[in-house]
Amino acid sequence: MSKLALTLTINGERHEVHTEPHRTLLDVLRVDLGLTGTKENCLEAECGVCTVLLDGHAVNSCILLAAQCAGRNVLTIEGLARDGVLDPLQQAFIDHGAVQCGYCIPGMILSAKAFLEERPAATEAEVREALAGNLCRCTGYQKIADAVVNAARATAAQR
Amino acid sequence: MAARTMRVVGKSLPRIDAPGKVTGTAVYAADFALPGMLVGKVFRSTEPHARIVRLDVTRARSLPGVRAVVTAADVPDVRYGGGLKDETVFAKGKVRYIGQPVAAVAATTPEAAQAALAAIEVVYEPLAAVLDLEAALAPGAPLVHEEWASYTAIPILHRDGNVCNRARIVVGDVDRGWEEADRIFEHRFRTGMVHQGYTEPRAAVAQWDSSGTVTVWSNTQLPFEVQNTLAEIFQMPPSKIRVVVPGIGGGFGGKLRVGVEHFAVLLARKTGRAVKVVTTSQEELTAAYPRQGAVVELKTGVTNDGRIVAKEGRIWFDTGAFAGSGPGVASVATLVLAGPYRIPNLRLEGFAVYTNKTNCGSYRAPSGPQSNFAVESQMDIIADALGIDPLEFRLKNIVRDGDEGPTGQVLGAVGLEECLRNAAAAIGWNERRPETWRGKGLACGWWTTTGGSSGVYVKINPDGTVALNTGAAEIGTGALTGAAQVLAEELTVDLADVSVVSADTFSTPFDFGAQGSRTAFAVGNACRAAVADLKQRIFALAAAQLSVEVEACVLAEKHVVADGKRVSLAELARMSQMTGGGLIAQGTFIAPPTAYDSKRVEGHVYPAFHSPSFHAHAVDLSVDPGTGDVTIHRYVVAQDVGFAMNPTYIEGQIEGGVAQGLGQALSEEIVYEGGRVLNANLTDYKMPTTLDMPRVETILVEHPSLAGPYGAKGVGEPPNIEPPAAVANAVAAATGLRVTVLPITAERIALGLLGDVRADGG
Repeated sequence: MSKLALTLTINGERHEVHTEPHRTLLDVLRVDLGLTGTKENCLEAECGVCTVLLDGHAVNSCILLAAQCAGRNVLTIEGLARDGVLDPLQQAFIDHGAVQCGYCIPGMILSAKAFLEERPAATEAEVREALAGNLCRCTGYQKIADAVVNAARATAAQR
Repeated sequence: MAARTMRVVGKSLPRIDAPGKVTGTAVYAADFALPGMLVGKVFRSTEPHARIVRLDVTRARSLPGVRAVVTAADVPDVRYGGGLKDETVFAKGKVRYIGQPVAAVAATTPEAAQAALAAIEVVYEPLAAVLDLEAALAPGAPLVHEEWASYTAIPILHRDGNVCNRARIVVGDVDRGWEEADRIFEHRFRTGMVHQGYTEPRAAVAQWDSSGTVTVWSNTQLPFEVQNTLAEIFQMPPSKIRVVVPGIGGGFGGKLRVGVEHFAVLLARKTGRAVKVVTTSQEELTAAYPRQGAVVELKTGVTNDGRIVAKEGRIWFDTGAFAGSGPGVASVATLVLAGPYRIPNLRLEGFAVYTNKTNCGSYRAPSGPQSNFAVESQMDIIADALGIDPLEFRLKNIVRDGDEGPTGQVLGAVGLEECLRNAAAAIGWNERRPETWRGKGLACGWWTTTGGSSGVYVKINPDGTVALNTGAAEIGTGALTGAAQVLAEELTVDLADVSVVSADTFSTPFDFGAQGSRTAFAVGNACRAAVADLKQRIFALAAAQLSVEVEACVLAEKHVVADGKRVSLAELARMSQMTGGGLIAQGTFIAPPTAYDSKRVEGHVYPAFHSPSFHAHAVDLSVDPGTGDVTIHRYVVAQDVGFAMNPTYIEGQIEGGVAQGLGQALSEEIVYEGGRVLNANLTDYKMPTTLDMPRVETILVEHPSLAGPYGAKGVGEPPNIEPPAAVANAVAAATGLRVTVLPITAERIALGLLGDVRADGG
């Protein structure tokens, strides 16, 4: 199969990728670029572990073709902390005990990140609605919701 | 303990592996990769029961990119398994369930592997299948294993045809009990098959080296068991098999046993390349190790004043085409069927039954939810029939300190009354039906802290930090953070000073594994043993260095202090490295055996609950009478944890266990029709989302156990046990409808309210 040459901006860096047109963004991130912080599970956009931000919007990278992302900005979990300083959401997940096995956490944090950009003063009910596409089997979601709501408050207080 | 002030244990400190998990740098087995690695995939049966007339892989082998296609002809003719060796790597001669592995392929790309699967030719001749418990137990039923009697099994098992174990507890004389009883209640319950639902699929990478050693990177919960099983399958010494657990994205019992490791090992040997095998969601829901569906029959005799005088119970587990965890699950179930109650006459039986379905395994508190759903539903039915408040009825019958468990074990540190009273009070139990279509429910239970041995090595690094080397895997519970807290406490360092290396069968000491709520308990105790040894070495060195008596030495703030002098742990470690090979100690722990009366049990592989925990759940909910939809207003768990090593993560265990329990209670079921799973995807297998889960309120009760570190008891499994019963009881209180089938879907409630499945019907 012939390959496409794609330019993707991932975590602020330009990457030239040569890949078949049918391959997903998830596959290219994990296999070609070694960015395994983006997780793989159901491959049908049900579980949300593969969530990344595409031009700031949370998307399921398992059903998105890499070719659809050419020339666009992708943010993965590896790109969220800046200069070794955790994003307030990442810190809140640690502080609230929201992490157990952790496999859903990168997707969960990125879904929350995109949502808080839109609604910085989100209520718990709104946060829960925003995260309904991200399955977690360990936590029962409570500490995750607490972490996101508190990160939003902390960020709002700083503004 | 109480007199001492704890610095690290008992504190809600952040888990030590959290930074890697929130930044995406933590590596899980599904992330693990090696250069030149091939993709392995499994070709699976499409028939529930059939003879393999022809299997031809020639065309598949010839496709571009395909490096190997393997079948039963490529593996030693071995049957393996736990207590009952009935499994094979691939079906040979016949298939026994839809999803059973028949062949496996390795190829350079996923597409080539998929093409190879499509090119495998197989012809089946269908055989009569047994697709549910009733069919499997019917007189003259087709045998799932005609050759069952020839299988190797531990002698304790009672097997007969499609029954691969019958476990039994007999206490007193139930017939005499029926005579003493004023009322006798008989009910039947049924529960569906459910999946653990871990978010990381089962994954393994295998690579052989030139010395004939194979290394397997896998997300198993039990690396040492997988090592031994692979040795059995491939007829190799275990010392040639290295199993390493990079990281696990949830297990809940579903990753105890060999899942895909054997395929990776075989394909890697055949191709001379590293091979990775990862399951799909469809494979997970059709061919993993889910929780057995069950049928329960209970007959309970009570006096009019609410004393239980006799109970007869039978539970049949649909364990699928191979025994899996079935024989053990059937055993444990009998202890749960007894309930945390004083009952003088018992006759309890658990049966593990073969059917032509996927091989069932272990899921968080195996047998607990199915058995407890029946027991605790019936407790409410009886209480209401007697006109006694369900809380009072339980309090009249629960076990207390010094009572005997069903098999004669003497119970201690029983915090059950406190759990029941606190949970009930928290939801306002005095108003059980506060408004129309709203009701409250209670359920309580007991569970074990599984034994088995744990070894650790603990080293003081030359900078004074501490390295823990343990064979246990961190499956997400935070158990190894708990063990690190123990070390930090005992060695007077900070939690941040402790690092962990874990779960590598070549370099870490043996551990019985992350199962049975035992990791923090057993590894924590092994750490304390290591510290005791380490202290002797540290104090001997320090005494020489400071010219003081060994007896005068104590640890304080990362130093040895004696007679007003001090020397740091870092300095002692450096000295030891120069002169004595470093400060390192081994610690081991094996849970003390729990005495029981062996005359009361038969066919039983788990006759007593070690350092048992006690718990009560209380729920306040409303039911929409039109749709049957359940809305949970309050959910409270009171759990006797003995000692809360890290309250935040114990709450996390409870919240997560309740989430899985509510899934089983309300929405989850692997639905079979004609031997085929109808909902093998995450759209139709309905696990709770953020919108389905209520806020779970946790009350930690602490009646310290004798054996656990600082009095801790096993924590992880119990919260999964009671949700189905608590919900069923609250739904009954809200609606008058007694649903005796799991899951209690909105559809079941709505139809029940229309008269289809009224009380006691099921």
